[in-house]
Amino acid sequence: MNTTQLKPFSKDILHIENIDAVCDSIIEKLRNDVFHTLQRRGGVVGISGGIDSSVCMALSAKAFGPNKVTGIMLPEQDSSDESRELAQELADKFGVGTLVEDITTALDGFGCYRRRDEAISRVIPDFDPDIDKAKIEIKQNIGQNLPAIFSITVIKPDGEVISKLLPAKEYLQIVAATNFKQRSRMSMLYYHAERLHYAVIGTPNKHEVEQGFFVKYGDGGADVMPIGHLYKTQVYQLARYLGVPEGIINRTPTTDTYTAEQTQEDFFYQLPFDQMDLIWYGWENNYPAEEVGAVMGKSAEEISNIYKNFERKRKTTEYLRMRPIF
Amino acid sequence: MLTATDVKNKVKKYILKETLSDVNQIDDDTLIFETGLLDSMGLLFLIEHLKEEFGVETQDEELVVEHFESIKNIVAFVESKL
Repeated sequence: MNTTQLKPFSKDILHIENIDAVCDSIIEKLRNDVFHTLQRRGGVVGISGGIDSSVCMALSAKAFGPNKVTGIMLPEQDSSDESRELAQELADKFGVGTLVEDITTALDGFGCYRRRDEAISRVIPDFDPDIDKAKIEIKQNIGQNLPAIFSITVIKPDGEVISKLLPAKEYLQIVAATNFKQRSRMSMLYYHAERLHYAVIGTPNKHEVEQGFFVKYGDGGADVMPIGHLYKTQVYQLARYLGVPEGIINRTPTTDTYTAEQTQEDFFYQLPFDQMDLIWYGWENNYPAEEVGAVMGKSAEEISNIYKNFERKRKTTEYLRMRPIF
Repeated sequence: MLTATDVKNKVKKYILKETLSDVNQIDDDTLIFETGLLDSMGLLFLIEHLKEEFGVETQDEELVVEHFESIKNIVAFVESKL
């Protein structure tokens, strides 16, 4: 493998040196995409109090002007109150108007909660959705060369934790049911976008797009994705530069989808973001596992297995990124 | 009573059916995940099949590559649980 043209791998390799120019370029492109290519008058952004949607809203406010951006909060019964408070703080900081659309009733109508809880109860008969909390998670180490399998974890009010491997039928039903959340949010965002003749600003970052950590026609349904090419640590760098509130920057990224607290690392990525960014960069730029391992303090074999995990994730989620075939 | 050959034949038949592979493409040592023949859903369906076909339940801590990477390893795992 010829690596002579690659910069030596280092922990700083993804650091954006000229952050002001990079930000300006993203803002200029976003403005051009929305005003000229899409021919819309502004943008709606679903704001969750998370880092990605916050950066997208800040970029939108600078690209279109705050009066041409609407921040939409879309809580449901499982959302944390903190999410809404942080989203409002963000909108206030950037002078963006907000709307709150509680989608709990819509989700109830779809049977989202009932279908999810039925599947959980089939695996853990003792599960009581009224008082217990639940989440799905990957428990395996990413460094072993086996595809990830999800477990269901139920937390009883007294702190007892019950965890079981999810059978295929129940896993698929839980995911299909909870995906109503992202798809309902997408429907509501498009309602407001069409009402205002705005574009829907999508919030997925590079990992979500490429590893398939999004719901097809849910949070993957948008007109433009201004941070779809950025690594997570770069999103944080932009957040600091743009002045996103510290409470959002310091918050651990969660899915805000299940009733139990769940980080994105537990749910899907299996690695802390700072490590995942660097190893993903190493993988997609063909850095030898030995070179990356030496910098990351991991063995070449472990890096090699993580590379295989990335390759598997990208391959098995290709369906999510595909357009309809005709 | 299932013999080792019975287990192997049943596992192999399942893997061939699921991966739409030709019998000449897979041998007992082919690394079925490394070569991309099965993905994570494939592993999940395989675990379910082992339960239905052999009554073998896989626990969290048994989800290791040594038990599932090839037909030979899957057969050894099943036999250890029968």
